[in-house]
Amino acid sequence: MSPQGHAPDRCRALLVQLSTYVDGELAGADRRAVVAHLKHCPCCQAMADGLRHTVETCRKAKAARLPADVRARARARIAALLAAEAGK
Amino acid sequence: MTKRQKSNPSDSEKASGAHETDYASLIRASQAGSHAAMERLLMKAQEVAYRFSLLVCGHADDADDAMQEALLKTYRYAAQIQQPEAFRTWLYRTVKNACLISRRKRVHEPARVWSLDEPVVGEDGHAQALDVVDPGRRPDEIMANTRLRRRLREALQTLDPGYREIVFLREVEGLSTKEVAAVVGISEANVKTRLHRARLMLRQQLEG
Repeated sequence: MSPQGHAPDRCRALLVQLSTYVDGELAGADRRAVVAHLKHCPCCQAMADGLRHTVETCRKAKAARLPADVRARARARIAALLAAEAGK
Repeated sequence: MTKRQKSNPSDSEKASGAHETDYASLIRASQAGSHAAMERLLMKAQEVAYRFSLLVCGHADDADDAMQEALLKTYRYAAQIQQPEAFRTWLYRTVKNACLISRRKRVHEPARVWSLDEPVVGEDGHAQALDVVDPGRRPDEIMANTRLRRRLREALQTLDPGYREIVFLREVEGLSTKEVAAVVGISEANVKTRLHRARLMLRQQLEG
């Protein structure tokens, strides 16, 4: 087995850093250790890919906007507020 | 490291920074007297309140109250804020508090998460699905995204509200770890820990 390869203790220790790595917030020696480990450990690589996919799925959920009736009520509230303030 | 891995963090940070600049620019413009900027700011504040109500609190009936609260507080705060860059954190904290107050009134009712695809009953009593931002997408793409969002909604429903809130702020709304910590009132280290646990749970649900 490669010194960087799959080993339960090492994998467990790196697991807590995977989210930080996926977010690109891991730096220096920590980041190099994760990159080296992923090259030799298919289990952790699959976990990293899964986390990345999960993050992408969540980000797609924002691609929707208000229903037309809710948007209309929101616009009406804004108009009423600005009109009331203008009248003061 | 692959190209894809490299692009994720920078995209995320850019997106986060872009939102901050967006809000800050609107604040500055509205303080300078732009009517259009103030209207846009007030609409964005209500949009955030709506999404938070549906996805985190799970009560469509509370959305109007939360939107009204966000509207009034944003209008008052926008005129006096000294640091426009701090507006986004303030907005999410305000919306969260407004939603929690509404939720406390419903303490005996089970909370649920609404899908962005789930029909919402309009004023006329007819069911209405949420609009999709990009109307030019192909039907198969829309179907794929619909399935994706349904799976995400189901996965989110399995999370504890504390985890769901973190996922919503960080992943859906794109706040930075620091901003999420400020909104939720926990340390950045705790945000990262909770986010990691939530991602593992979500991953299991989405791939299971």
